[in-house]
This record gives sequence, structure tokens and C-alpha cells, in this order.
Amino acid sequence: MLKVDKLMVFYENALAINELSIHINEGEIVGIIGSNSAGKTTLMNTISGLLLDTKLKEQRKGGERITIFGSVSFIGNDITNTWADERVKMGIVLSRERHPVFVESDVKENLKIASYLSPKNKFKEMLSFVYDLFPALVPLRKRKAGFLSGGEQQMLAIGMSLMVKPKLLLLDEPLLGLAPTIQVKLIESIVKIRKETNVTILICEQFARPVLPIIDRGYVLENGMLALEGTGNELFNNPEIKAAYFGV
Amino acid sequence: MKNRENYRKERIDRCIKARSDDIYALSSYKEMWYLIFPRVVPIIGIAILAYFLPLYWKKVVITTCIFAMLAVSWDFLSSCGLLSLGQALFFGIGSYTAGCLNHYFHFPIYLTIPIATICGGFISTILLLPVIRLRGIYFAMVTLILPLMLARGIEATHVFGGNEGITGLSPFPNVWVELTFIIAGMWAALFALRRFISSDYGLIFVSIRDNDRATMASGINIYAFKAQALFIGSSICAFCGAFMTHLYMFTGIPVFTMEFSILPIAASAIGGIGTLAGPLLGAFILVPLSEILREFGSLRVVFYGLVLVVCVVALPEGIFHYLSRKYNEMERWVRLE
Repeated sequence: MLKVDKLMVFYENALAINELSIHINEGEIVGIIGSNSAGKTTLMNTISGLLLDTKLKEQRKGGERITIFGSVSFIGNDITNTWADERVKMGIVLSRERHPVFVESDVKENLKIASYLSPKNKFKEMLSFVYDLFPALVPLRKRKAGFLSGGEQQMLAIGMSLMVKPKLLLLDEPLLGLAPTIQVKLIESIVKIRKETNVTILICEQFARPVLPIIDRGYVLENGMLALEGTGNELFNNPEIKAAYFGV
Repeated sequence: MKNRENYRKERIDRCIKARSDDIYALSSYKEMWYLIFPRVVPIIGIAILAYFLPLYWKKVVITTCIFAMLAVSWDFLSSCGLLSLGQALFFGIGSYTAGCLNHYFHFPIYLTIPIATICGGFISTILLLPVIRLRGIYFAMVTLILPLMLARGIEATHVFGGNEGITGLSPFPNVWVELTFIIAGMWAALFALRRFISSDYGLIFVSIRDNDRATMASGINIYAFKAQALFIGSSICAFCGAFMTHLYMFTGIPVFTMEFSILPIAASAIGGIGTLAGPLLGAFILVPLSEILREFGSLRVVFYGLVLVVCVVALPEGIFHYLSRKYNEMERWVRLE
């Protein structure tokens, strides 16, 4: 479904992603595991197209030069130079890191803004789907998003990315800054999302332990390079992964 | 041009830049010259220009220097997180202080200017002390309103000469003194502030702009530091005000006009905010440009605005940032391995 071929991304002279090739099949949950500065967020921004925007802005103000090599293709179309909004129309939706929400709007308004691309009559249906998925959001409907806790904001951010019925859902560090119990709940909801909507999911995480059991396949990144790949179980039982990510 | 498929443009510091940052700068004339060149050329250039131009353009250089100092002080305040729209306030207070001292107490010129510089900075700081806790646009609004209030207040109460202002103040001996004085003052302000802001003490001011809460959390009383920054910035403007008063032998309500607030910001925007030298460069482009455009009559503002827009759109980073990048860095195509 998604194919990233020999991707290289330079921030000025620093190499963020080095000849990375990954592919995602339809209906899978794929995990990308890596520590800080492994290039996870850069990869997510490249797949969602946000990097092109950053690149243009930096170019205009004469800042860092971002150079991208390689190609990204989605359902047979080459989307390497497609803008982020076009990619959302094609069905690639990113839930960004650190759960950005519109802090001055309440929860329902946030979801409404996020559903801009989907037809109006589908809004109610999607809204009840998101509320089913995250029942914790229901009593908070009228609360301003800025006053939600980190976990609630993360639920809202994922809910927002679901509003347009994506084909490929990109989750950038969904567990960042959450307590272990909340992490477990969120992981359960991710599994539920796949079961109910059959959407393909790509998760980037540094907390490998909660993520590895639910993924079909996983890639391990180190300094922008592919270090390991395998099915979730293989990675879970890999002694190196255990040492590096579980602290065993 | 050859095939750039597998090539990437690399941007690195010039070798000489890296060497000049090090001890080599003291041991080799080439490196020394590399460091001195961008500083000496404008100093000598402006001096030569100023002394050999006809009288009318000498006056333009003086005005330019005044605006350049205002712009430098605006940039200094903005790098301390104080977004000011009130350079006219500081300027006017300095001007009125010098004017009053000279007119009512008959202080000579070599006393009024230093006293007005210190007192002007002090009065401006006291006036703005209550609002120093405000940030961004709120602080800007207060600084915008205060000069208007003062101007109308003087008009209504007829203090300090009211509408007519104070005339017949003591002038400078001759144009050469005026020129030397203001040019020296401008370079002193620029280099002192540049040195100041890169010192450990100046680091606190920059950190207040970057994240004031984190600065507070580091145990620094940011309001005390903001007041100090305000004093330094407004003193420079007050100096300009005092100088201008003696230059025109007049002080009055026009010293509070918006031009003194807005032009420094425009100069900073095209020169490059946050560099201190950039605003100076910007002022040296904008003020003479506006003089040259006088021939066009009413169309002057149109062309002036056009130049501003083109500058901001084409070089949003500012001219100075662009020049310093070209001077310090080089670009080359490298092949991917």
C-alpha cells in the first residue's frame, strides 16, 4: 500500500534518514521502533508531506536547507512531491507527536474542524464512532481542549485524525508522556480502530514494550538507518531489542 | 550544468571563518583582515561619505545616523523581548529634557546632552515600569499610546512652550562637530550593544525573549532585567532626541511623531531583526532612499512602499543575515556516496 524507497533526508549537512526502504501492506499495523534522534518523526513528516512545507519555509527565510532523495508511493501513485493536504485527500492522515489540538476550541469543535474533508452527513456517524472508541471524551465534549490532560488530548488527537476516514493512519509517538495505565488503554483502542475500520496503521514509538505485541511487522531504526526488521513476535523475542528497549 | 541527480548542495563555513574564530586570528594578517574588513569598511565609508558630501547631504547623513541609532535601540529592546512601538516616546523625552535644561536653566550643550541621555532613559523607564510585566502586543500598545498622550498633554496644558515648543536653543559650533558627534555616537552604540548582548550578562536578556518562564524558573528576576534593558534602550533614543534638539535649536510636539517609532521598525525588518548591525544597514538604505525619492513628489510614498515590500518578500531574513551568510559560508555540490 505504502512504499518508501531509498529515502534520504538531510537537514543542512546532518543526515536524518539514510537509505531507508520500508513498505506497508493493506490492513497491517506496522511499528517503527527507535530511540531519540533515530529519525522517526522525520520519517512521519516525510510520509505525510509536512516536510515539504518545512522545506519551503526554511528555503524562503534562508535557514536550513532540507534535501530529500528517494521516493514515496501510495497505492501505486508516486507522492514524493505531493503536498500534505493532497495526501490527506488521498487518505494518509498523520496524528502528530505531542498531541497538538486546537486549544481554544472545545472537544466537539476540534472534531468538527478535523472532519472538514468528510461529507457533512457522515459527521454524526464518525462522531459517535470516536466517542465509542474513547468513552472518556464524552463527558468532556464542551471542555476547551487546552484544559484536557495529556492522555485526553492524545485521545482527541487520534480521534481527530480518524474523522476523515483515513486509509493509512500515521501515529507519531502516541504514548509520549502518558502513564503506563493510559498507555495500555490507548494501545487497546488502537487495536480496536483496526478491527472496526480496517484502516492500515503505522506507529512510531520509542516505548517498544507496549507496542510490539500488537504490531504485525516492525522496523527498528537507529540513527536514520534500518537496523532490524521482522514480525512483532520476532522483534519481541529478539535479545538485542530486549536489552536496548526493555532494559532487561 | 551537469546532471544533479545524485548531488546535494552542501553549506559549510569558509575555512578562513573557522580559522578566524581561533587563535590564528591573532597570528596572521589574512585572518585578521577577514575579521576587521566588514567592520572597518562601513566605518571608513560612512566617514568619507559624510565629510565630502555637499551640505544638504551632510544633513541627510546626520538624520540617517539618528534613525540608525533609533533602529539599533529598537532591535536591542526586541532582542530582550520588549516589543516597542514607542521609540518616539524615548526620543521625545530626551528632546524635551535637553530643551528645558538649556532654555530654563541655561545649561551648556556639553551638559544637556549627557544629562538628557541619562535622565531621558530614567524617566522613560519609570513611565513604563508599571507595564513592564506585559508582554508582546500589550506592551507595544502602551508604548504606542504614551507619546500621543504626552503630545496632547503638552498641547492642552501649554507647559514647555505648548504648541509652539521651545525655540532658540544653543546650536552646535558647526556642521563638522555635528557630523563627528553623531557618527561617533552611532558606532559607539552599535558596537557597545553588540559586545553587551554577547556577554554573559546580555545572555540573560536574550533568554528572556526566548522563554521568559524558563528564565524565571532559573531564579532570575526578569522584571529587574527588563527594566535595565529598557533603560539602556531608551537612553540611546534619548541621546538622539537631545542631539536633534540642539541640531534644530528647537523642541516641540513634533518630536513625538509616529515616524520616529515606525521607521526604526521598518529599517529593522529589511535589515534583519536580531543582528543590531542589520537595522543600522536598513536605516542607511531607507532614509537616503526617501530623500532621493523626494523628486517624485506624491508618488514618493508609493515607490518607498514598493521598495519595502520587495525587500521583505525577496529577503525575509533581512539583508544583513543574507550578507553575513554569503561572507561566512560557502556552498558546493557534493555527490552522494
